[in-house]
Amino acid sequence: MTVHAQRAVPLWSLQDICKGFPGVQANNHIDIDLPAGEIHGLLGENGCGKSTLIKILSGVQQPDSGRILHNGREVTFDGPGAARREGIATVYQEFSLIPHLTVAENISMGRHPRRRGGLMVDWRAVTAEAQRILGQLGLEIDPAARVTDLSVAEQQLVEIAKALSQDATLLILDEPTTALGQEEIVALHRLLRRMKESGVGILYISHRLDEVVELVDSFTVLKDGRVVSAAGQTRLDVDEIVTRMIGSDISEHFPKEDNTRDEVVLTVRGARTAHRVADVSFDLRRGEVLGLGGVIGSGRTEIARAVFGADRLLAGEVTLDGRRLRLRGPADAIAAGIALVPENRKTEGLFFNFAAGPNITMAHLRGVTRGPLFDHRREDRVCVDYIDDLAITPSARTKLVNLISGGNQQKVLIARWLFSDSRIVILDEPTQGIDVGAKLAVYRLINDLTRAGKSVILISSAHNELIAMSDRIAIVKHGRVTDIRPAHEVSPTDLVSATEAAHHDIAAVAAVQKSEVLS
Amino acid sequence: MKRSTLAEFLGPIVALVIIVGVVAVTTPNFLATANFQNIALQAAVLSIVAIGSTVVILTGGIDLSPGSMIALITMALAAMIKLDGWGLMLAIPAALAIGGALGAVNGFLVAYLRIPAFIVTLAGLSALKGIALTIGGGTPIVSLSPNLETLFYGQVLGIPLPFIYVLVLYALAVFTLNHTKFGREIYAIGGNEAAARLSGIKVKRVRLLAFVIAGVCAGIGGVLLAARLNSGSPNYGTLIELQAIAAAVVGGASLAGGRGHVFNTLIGVLIITVVQNGLNLNAVSPAVQSIAIGLIILLAVTLDLWRGHLSRILRAQFTRTPALATPAKGL
Repeated sequence: MTVHAQRAVPLWSLQDICKGFPGVQANNHIDIDLPAGEIHGLLGENGCGKSTLIKILSGVQQPDSGRILHNGREVTFDGPGAARREGIATVYQEFSLIPHLTVAENISMGRHPRRRGGLMVDWRAVTAEAQRILGQLGLEIDPAARVTDLSVAEQQLVEIAKALSQDATLLILDEPTTALGQEEIVALHRLLRRMKESGVGILYISHRLDEVVELVDSFTVLKDGRVVSAAGQTRLDVDEIVTRMIGSDISEHFPKEDNTRDEVVLTVRGARTAHRVADVSFDLRRGEVLGLGGVIGSGRTEIARAVFGADRLLAGEVTLDGRRLRLRGPADAIAAGIALVPENRKTEGLFFNFAAGPNITMAHLRGVTRGPLFDHRREDRVCVDYIDDLAITPSARTKLVNLISGGNQQKVLIARWLFSDSRIVILDEPTQGIDVGAKLAVYRLINDLTRAGKSVILISSAHNELIAMSDRIAIVKHGRVTDIRPAHEVSPTDLVSATEAAHHDIAAVAAVQKSEVLS
Repeated sequence: MKRSTLAEFLGPIVALVIIVGVVAVTTPNFLATANFQNIALQAAVLSIVAIGSTVVILTGGIDLSPGSMIALITMALAAMIKLDGWGLMLAIPAALAIGGALGAVNGFLVAYLRIPAFIVTLAGLSALKGIALTIGGGTPIVSLSPNLETLFYGQVLGIPLPFIYVLVLYALAVFTLNHTKFGREIYAIGGNEAAARLSGIKVKRVRLLAFVIAGVCAGIGGVLLAARLNSGSPNYGTLIELQAIAAAVVGGASLAGGRGHVFNTLIGVLIITVVQNGLNLNAVSPAVQSIAIGLIILLAVTLDLWRGHLSRILRAQFTRTPALATPAKGL
């Protein structure tokens, strides 16, 4: 790769890019080179200017000043179409697939091959094209499958296939792994390495620092719209990057406290639901963090939903303080003191038509009503208190929550359950897609909860985080708890169970062979 | 919902003031007291029906059935009084109860059987009209009772009664939607139904109640209409559901749910009624009036959608920072 980088004109190059919005300089004199055949990591906390830079490079926004060079030639994009035509493919965090169409239709969306003088879509060509691209990428996804029937991870891969189908020379991936489990991340990285070998440049944005360290050839760290650091692989070090990103030295990533007491507060026995949960039993102690480990789709989220009353129990029971709960819906669980911060903030957690205040009080409206009357002033006080306590951005008080960053949104959601004074807090992927500083805040909150004698059920696909922050870990496979062990006895490989890992490797080998045959 | 700010109300009120101003200047008789009373009478039924429509819209639903419901209720009321010889004090509560019950049926089908509100109330629009036509052979029933009109269209201290009904009902609606737990739950469901359920809100029950409110509002509207015309007819209320939805939308409510304010719906009703009244006084044909209302709906929604954008551009002009091509989301 040094052959490409030295002296040669880089494939793509950003020079002195500036972009301001009223009140904030989002990009401040940014220079980045993106040579062919290299994966470049773009790092920084939320609000550091990453999204703006991506939007400029993909033509969604225009820079105030600065130049974009393609093979040394200056180009300007007046819109996303222009950037695409120049060879830039962007995979955004939000999916752009149309759920009820097939994989093949989605891949050639907007430029379906035609026949009979352009009047009719040539469906056979559409399918053939999709097959070719999926094959090149070594993906075993049926082109005729509907996107809704695919797992989130498969959808992400189709999204990438769609981007690549446009003969891109630069692929931009914005947080491509937020929806993926460990195995899928491995598969994605294998795919990206193969792509870079074919000479494509890749700009990779992620919050998962460990994975970035493994993957990228070089990186740039942004803070407050400026480049604070840029380096090649030899200097990649997680602690160093974290320090640069948040601008202060933190000695440990996981400030775990052990607050477990002997007393068992929650017991689940023989729980079964129509949604994958099969005969699940476990205990939860006061002040304990019980981690649910396992791959995506193993049934961790569904176990959480069953305990929370969101999915009906077909068999088994949930007992809190020795009292059997009758869970007809989340309202019953909440009344008993159980809380759930769902995996998907946007679709299941936040109310985008409200500012932070109503979002925080929603699960405990009685806390802000006086008789039948709403006490708006008290709600505002509650909101301000949590903004102070959890270091939420002050603008959350008046801004609708879709206008604040992911980390702040997650804090608002957690505040909802702090306000409702829940005793059992279930956190489903609480650090997904939020920046390092906000992650630390979540870890500290977990400590605060357990110190106060509350118990936490933690679900996380980030294995290091799960192992570090849990006291015990229940390993979940096919909707069952197969093993419960102290967290320090669990290794990341235990979480991707032996049989599944083997199966995965076979699939991967088959995929590689297939792609070699096809290309 | 967010605490109400003046800015939320400013847009529709400014629009109303401008429209009243234009109509006043161009139409000689507009400012006469008698005409104002006329407007109040015209707006009364629509504004009450629009309360129910707004509540349903705030939950993210839609109600197409109030027009046919009104037809049915006026016929039922007329039949009870004229054919069955019921007294007013019995027949009127019965008519309101019919409205509530029909709303409950809508709500049950939408909330518990999960049939889309559009389909359920479209079916209601057709079926209820049909039922209205079966009562008394489908012909209007007239001369119900001499007391009916004085009961609803008399005056207290010189203020026409319908005016008082509207004010009281809107005060009640504003109070319920913005100052009670139930109101917050309505907005929450419209904002994000899944999140509302996971926050412990009994979504089905709230949805059902929203439709019951809409049914009762249609009931009140039906009784007022029957009283004014001293008759029942299967043709009463035709298309009022669309006007009520239009009023809510002109007042800034989002059909996606969760956004809007019921007081602005009243402003929306007044905008529509004043424009119609002005065109009437100028002897403009009903066809053109229809076109005018259509344009008002489009204009109101367009302004609402682009309001943020326009104000940003204006602000940028004044502060001399570059205007944005797209909103600065998640820098």
